[in-house]
Parts: sequence; structure tokens; C-alpha cells
Amino acid sequence: MTPGPAPDAGAERWTPYWFIAPLALYLLLFQGVPLVQEAGLSFTATSLLSPREHVFVGLDNYRNLLDGSDFHAVLATTAVYTVACVVLSILLGLGVALLLDAPFRGRGVARALVTVPWAAPPVAVALIFVWIFNAQYGVFNFVLRSVGFAAGRENWLDTPELALPAVLLTTIWQIFPFAAVVILAALQGVSAELKEAATIDGADRLSIFGAVVWPTIRPSVALLSLFLTIWSIRRFDLIWLMTQGGPIGATETLVIKLYRDGFVYRDLGQAAAVGMVGVVVALAVTAVYFHFTRRAERAAGA
Amino acid sequence: MSAAAAMAGRRGWTHGLRLLTVLLVLLGAGFPLYWMFVTSLTPSAALFAVPPHVWPSWSELGVYTEAFRTIPVGRWLRNSAVIAAGTTVLSIALAIFPAYALSRFQFRGAGLVGLGLFATQMLPEAMLVVPLYAIFGQFGLLNTLAGLILANTAFTVPVITWMLKGAIDGVPIDVEEAAKIDGCTRIGIVLSIVLPLVAPSLAAAAVISFFHGWNEYVLATTLISDEALRPASVGLASFVGELSTPVHSVMAVGLIYTVPAVVFYLFVQRYVVAGMTAGSVKG
Amino acid sequence: MVQPTRRHLGALAASLAILGRPLARPALAQGVKEIITFAGVTFTEAGRGDKLRAWVDGFNKSQDRIEVQPIGMPFATLANTVFTQMGGGAGPDLVRFDQIDYYAAVAARRILPLDEILADGHYTFTAAMKYLKVDGKAYGVPFESSNYVLLHNAALLKSGAPANFDDFLAKAKAATTDGVYGFAFRATMAERPGFWQDLCNFVFGFGGRWSDGKELTLNSPGVIEGVSAYKRVYDSGVLPKGADAATYRRMFWEGKLVMEIDNGGVAAILNQQAPTMPLVASFSPFPTRTQGAILAPLTINANTKNKAAVTTFLKWSLQPGPQRELQALLGAGNAATVVERTPEELQARPWLKVYDDQTSNSIPQLVEGFEIKTPEVQQIVLEQVLRVLQAGQDPKRAMDEAQRIAAARVKR
Repeated sequence: MTPGPAPDAGAERWTPYWFIAPLALYLLLFQGVPLVQEAGLSFTATSLLSPREHVFVGLDNYRNLLDGSDFHAVLATTAVYTVACVVLSILLGLGVALLLDAPFRGRGVARALVTVPWAAPPVAVALIFVWIFNAQYGVFNFVLRSVGFAAGRENWLDTPELALPAVLLTTIWQIFPFAAVVILAALQGVSAELKEAATIDGADRLSIFGAVVWPTIRPSVALLSLFLTIWSIRRFDLIWLMTQGGPIGATETLVIKLYRDGFVYRDLGQAAAVGMVGVVVALAVTAVYFHFTRRAERAAGA
Repeated sequence: MSAAAAMAGRRGWTHGLRLLTVLLVLLGAGFPLYWMFVTSLTPSAALFAVPPHVWPSWSELGVYTEAFRTIPVGRWLRNSAVIAAGTTVLSIALAIFPAYALSRFQFRGAGLVGLGLFATQMLPEAMLVVPLYAIFGQFGLLNTLAGLILANTAFTVPVITWMLKGAIDGVPIDVEEAAKIDGCTRIGIVLSIVLPLVAPSLAAAAVISFFHGWNEYVLATTLISDEALRPASVGLASFVGELSTPVHSVMAVGLIYTVPAVVFYLFVQRYVVAGMTAGSVKG
Repeated sequence: MVQPTRRHLGALAASLAILGRPLARPALAQGVKEIITFAGVTFTEAGRGDKLRAWVDGFNKSQDRIEVQPIGMPFATLANTVFTQMGGGAGPDLVRFDQIDYYAAVAARRILPLDEILADGHYTFTAAMKYLKVDGKAYGVPFESSNYVLLHNAALLKSGAPANFDDFLAKAKAATTDGVYGFAFRATMAERPGFWQDLCNFVFGFGGRWSDGKELTLNSPGVIEGVSAYKRVYDSGVLPKGADAATYRRMFWEGKLVMEIDNGGVAAILNQQAPTMPLVASFSPFPTRTQGAILAPLTINANTKNKAAVTTFLKWSLQPGPQRELQALLGAGNAATVVERTPEELQARPWLKVYDDQTSNSIPQLVEGFEIKTPEVQQIVLEQVLRVLQAGQDPKRAMDEAQRIAAARVKR
């Protein structure tokens, strides 16, 4: 990070504040105020039908979360979903990026085409994947059966143990291109000379990767992980349209529970409480990220 | 065999394997979209055929013209385009100067602003939609495309700001010094010198905000009630009827909805690659 | 050097101003027409949607002071979208609600009582009207009510309609062969409302009720029997598991499904999609005749600013002519008032009579006495039933658990 020059005393002292002010005001109005309202809502019992009538109930909404054993399941599902999405799509993205890094004919076309899943709208993706996973007529089961897997008889989106893997597969299909693109870009920054030097020294591919490639792309991968984590915690459309959090809560993440409490049970206060917990989790994740990047920067002597 | 020839032979074999794997990856990436196309063209009875029909029945192409005739797809797409374009323009406009400030200046509260930007990124639309609805109601922004653009922008601008900041970090300060000596104002420097240099990141920012606006569903469903203003995301979801779902129309419209986003992306993608990591790779 | 900024901001402001104008508002050129909006799910349906829009247009063409604009909203989001809008002081002038949402709207005073408006009309409402009375007042008229009976494809079920439940199960099993399934119902949370409807039919058919009006009776013997029966069918191998209703209804009209219990609106769709298929209706194969019914009331938004116009439209819709047209386009359901079917209709579609005969045995798919709490009770019950179906839980224990959780929840 290039540390900016100390602003000229006097003339430009307020410039940064002026520059930031419009955005700060904008976000305060469209995110800050609603967030504060949600915080307030979480201490009330409010119905979606009469959002202006509140009954103060103190910590009841939060207590409901702690009482119900299913909230632990929701947190666990959110964690599993997020970690799996981030780790698997980065691994897959890394593999694809390495694949597309070496020269071959048609590489440009391949690089462009591999990104298509990311461009597809989640609403459309949910619809087609629900059809693909259809137990009787879906092509997914057909292919599995043809290859001899007994799993080809399974009811993917309707079986508690299989719903999350199916949703994960859909999600990863959608986001791995993004990871691949970012990592591919980062790979361009790997010094060719260093790689050559290592090869001449007789190092095998794996150690070249560990010693030369990985340190170069690590900052990008870190940033990528943060983006993907953010988006996974927030992801709603895909999960809701495919399973609505079912079956029996197998795919119920924080956002899904929030939506259900607010828009199915119409209990805005309870939904707000769930949302607040989500905000705390998100803040924790962000703080952890900042902590580690700052440590890495200090180590790199930046 | 000489060592070089052996290595060449091995390389040839690896090359072939690489090509094959790439092909498989592309197949996996493209298949669901292809399947959308095939399903849209499969006659109703054949939908339940086992094994499923793999090739599209070209005779059924009328589904697409029928879709355009009976369903307001054109209007939906137009609305989606307006929302997406508006979100893009507004997000970038709002993000440029804060990104610059965070990159170039050290000032009190910079860390807080950075943290705040990230924290807000994690707020889901579902959580804020009800208070947003009330606020919009007060400002008369309900049921307008402008209102939806304002709402969408709030969710994209933090990411955009962060990305642009990273890109500006990578622009050497000397370029600006020269301009300052020439008497340029700070604002002028930002717009005419720094911005062009971070064009790839701008492209990436444009793509991210465009997609967000194009795909957004939760806010659009609640804040827009006028059928004439409905974007394609809501329109497509409205197909899933209470009693029966016309699968072909759904798949056809789904594909029609997907194609512009894909085409747009294919045009811009080479900038995205460069823009995503500009500034964060400090090799 | 500052020029670009000003121009930049100017362009931005201009474009936002343009966007602020709602696009495509109909021009109020010829005279000043009052425009009122009418939101409903039916407008989005393939087939019925266009017919209903034409019906509404009939009103628009019959006079030139008021124009009714239909707003189609997807089933999954109509209630919440409308409620959010109502909560914000706006919303469509007329709403066709789902029954459960109707009670929620009444409780929150979001819709107007209609007794005064209906007083001078001398309308003969159907039996369904009594279910719309809350504390003696009617807050809606039945826009559409539709009963549930057993439908079967006579070409695939040559032995005729089943006489009782065991006969039904045996016939379903016999009819399930390669690629053809004997029966279908919903059993996934993703289709929660439909899952609830199908379960209600089984439970009511076995004599169970969700409450006695004062207390919840989720673990009464009749309910447990109904749930057990649901499980028997689930395990029998006759179901295309995981197929959603849209898919299995399509399967039915493509000849891949033999029987299903469904409402009149669906019967009309099946008939329309496969006119040559011999569609036969019979009473559901349960010990008692009682089944659930769809009841979708037409209501007036309390926020409406055009009460006179809305009232005019409502009264028009209850006239014999519009009622007859409405009933015809709805299919095998009924409109608000009693409309006799013509002999030609009955001959062309004999299943209409079975649906009409079911009316006296239909009850709402609600938890009596706890109408507003139905969504929560529904979720709890369905989750427990899913445990029975998929996790092998014993029906009695599952329903005991449901009773325990729900009783605590409704007291909150």
C-alpha cells in the first residue's frame, strides 16, 4: 500500500473529508439508518403487516434464538456453506487458472468461455438446476445412473443429507469462474525469471509453486477469499429458490432464517434479531481478515 | 531417446491432457446453459422421456417468438438494463473520490471508513428491505426505477470503492506530482490523470455493479409494484405459478435473460482480468 | 480543470431525473380516468391469466370513468409484497388474497369491511362466504373457491375410481409401472403451501382437525391417522418423489401420472392441456368426505384513495353476467355468488358436477380459532411430518412434538 503523502497543512487538510462525504452520507442514509432501525426492531415484536406498531419485548427475540436448538444448526449450516464455497471454489479456480495459464491454441476463447457461469443470473440458474436435479427426469441422475452410481436414484434437493451438497454444487458452479479469473490475473504477476531459475535448479513443479508462485498470488487469493466469504454469507436467491432452506433445515443459513422469520412468519422483530447476529458474525470475519492482512503486510515489510 | 526428446514427448503428452481437461471444464461450465436451451425446445411429452433428449428440437424454436409475443420480455429486459446501467454509473460516480482519498491520504477515521465499507457489504438485502421501504416511501421513491437504482448502489458501492482504492494504490505518485506542479486541482488530477490509469479496474467495477443491478431480485420484488417497471429477475420468478409452470417459456425467458449479461461480460472480460487484481499484487 | 466534474454531475442528475418518471404510465389523455389497481396471482397463470385480464377489461370497456389495471404477482411473493406496501401506506386498491393471508390482513386492519357495500345488492353468496366472516363482519367476497376431489385418467385406470383408501393404494400400486406413477402429492418444504393443502386433505379425510376452535388438537387420533396414511403413500413407491406440483400436473396431462387429488382450477388446466384425455373426478378415497378447499377472497385495501371507483368495480363483478363469465373462466371452481352451470357445460365436463357436489363437505385449510397463527403452526406441523416421512419418526411422537411446540408458540 502506497502511503499517501502527508496532506499539505491547511490547503488540503479537509480534502479527504470532502471526498468521502457524499459516499458517507449516502451509505449512512441507505444502509446506516436502516441498520439502526433494524437494531431497534430486534428488541420489539413487530408484524410485517403493521411495521409502525412496535411492542417492546427486550431481549426476548434473542432469547428465542438461544433457546431453540435449531439456531445452532443455522449457524453451523452457514459456516459449512460459506467455508465449503470459499475453499472449494478457490481450489477449483486455482486449478482452472493454472490450466489456462500455459499457452495453447484457443486459450483466449477458453478463458472467455469459462467465465460464463458467473454471468448467469441466479434466478435463472436456480430454475435450471432444480430441473437438472429432478429425481426422476433430471439429467444429473441420468448421468449418474449411466455410470453406475446408485446415487442416481436419489432425490437430491429433497433429502436432508443431499440437499446441501446439491446447493453447494450449484453455487460453486456459479462462482468458481470468478476465482479462476482473479487467480489467473494474479498468475500474470509471477516472475518468469524466478520460475526459470527454479526449474534450472531442478526443482519440481510442486516446489516451484510453493516457493515462487504462491507467495506472489497469496495477497490476491486473500482478497478473493474475503469477497467470496462476504458473498456467501449474503447469498439468498439461489438457496431460497432451490430449497427454501429445507429439507428440515438442511440448507437453512442465517439469511434464509432471517427471510423466513420476517416474510413467512411475518415477525420482523425476530428477523431483525437474526440479522443482528449476522452483522456481528460479519464484523468478526472482517476484523479477523484485517488482522491477518496487516500482520502479513508488516511481515513483508510494507 | 535423448533427454530433450524424452522431455518433448512428455510435454506433448501433458499438453494433450491439458487440452482434454480444459475441454471438460468448459463442458461443465457451459452445460447448464445448454440444458436451458434444450429444455426450452423440448416438447412437453418428451420432457419425461428417459433417457432425456440431448439435442434441441429445432422445430420448437417458435417458443422464443411466442415468448416475445405473449410475455413482456422486451419490457422486462429494458427495465433490467436501465436498472443495471444506472447502478453502474451511480456506483462508480460515488466511489471514485472516496477511493482516491483512502488511497492517497492519511487522515483520522480512514481505518474506520475502510472497516465500515466492508461491514456494510455483509448486510443482506433481505434484512434492510423493510426499513428501506419505509424510507423510500417518505421520499416518494417507491415504484420508480431511480429508487431501485439508489437502493442497489448502496450494496455495490463499498466493493467498488475498495477495488478502486487498490487500483489507485498501484498508480505511482510522481504522475500526480507533475500535474500538481502544473497547477491542476486535486479534483482535476483525479478525473483526468488517475482515472484513465485505472481503466481496467473501472471496467471490473462496471461489471460487478452491472451484474448486481441486472440480477437483483429481493429489492426489486418489494420496491417495484408497477408491472410496467418490472425487471426480468422478478418477471422470470413470476412464472413459477401457483397451479402450473410453463416450463418451456420459463426456460426460454431464462435464457433470454441470461444472454445479454453473458454477452456483455464476454466483451468486457479482458479488462476485468486486469482490473481485479491491479494494486493488490505487490510482487 | 473543474469542468469535467460539473458536467459529470449534471449528466448524472439529469439521468436520475428521467428515471424518476415512472415509465410507461398510460396517458391520461382522453378525459381523466380514475385508475385503480387489482393485484392477484391468477393474472400470472398460463391460460387463466389472459382470460381474467379480458374479464377485467370487460369492465373497463363498459364505462369510461374508471380503469382497472391488473397486477400479476407470483404466488410466493404476493402476500409479502402487498403487505409491505400496505404497511408503507400504499399498495394495490384491490387484492385477491390467499385465505391465510386474508386473516392476517383482517387482524392488522389492512382491508375494509364490506357489509355496507354489499347491503343493498341482494347477492346470493355461496357457502364459502360464511368462512370469510370475522367477528360477524365480512372483509372480502369469495373471488374464487375451489374444492378438492380425486382426479384420475380413465385411460390408465380401467378399473374405475377407488372405493376406499386401501382400494386406492392398491390401485395406485398396480398402476405404477415403467415411467408411469400411480399418485402424486407434495412433500417438500419448498412447496410449503401446497404441502399443507395436500396434508390437510388427508387429515380431514381421516376425521382429524387441527383444533377444536379453542385448543390445538395436533396430536388427536384423526390427525395421527391422516399423517400415518400420508406416510403409507410416501413409502409405497407410487410417487414421483421430489417432483413439484407443476411437474406432476404436467406429468398427468402427458399421461405419466394416474391419480391425484387436486382443486377445480387444476382440473380445468389439465382438461385444457389434454382435451382428449378421459378425466374423471370422484370423491377423495378417505373414510370421511370432508376435504379442504381453496378460498381466495377479493378484498379492498384500507389505504385505497379511490373508494368509490373500487366499490363500483366490486359491485359490477358481483352482477350475474360477470359472475357467470368469471365462473366459466375459473374452471371447476366457484365465484362469489351461486351460478348455475349450463347443461352443455355439465355434459362436456362431467367432473364439474363432482366438484360442485363436494362444496357441502369442504372446510377451510386453516387452524380454526388460530387463523392468524396458521403459518407458524403450518411450519411446525410440516417439519414434524417431514421427519415422519424422511427420518422415520413415529407419527404419534412427531405430532405430540408438534403439539408441544405449537402450543407454546401460539401463546407468545
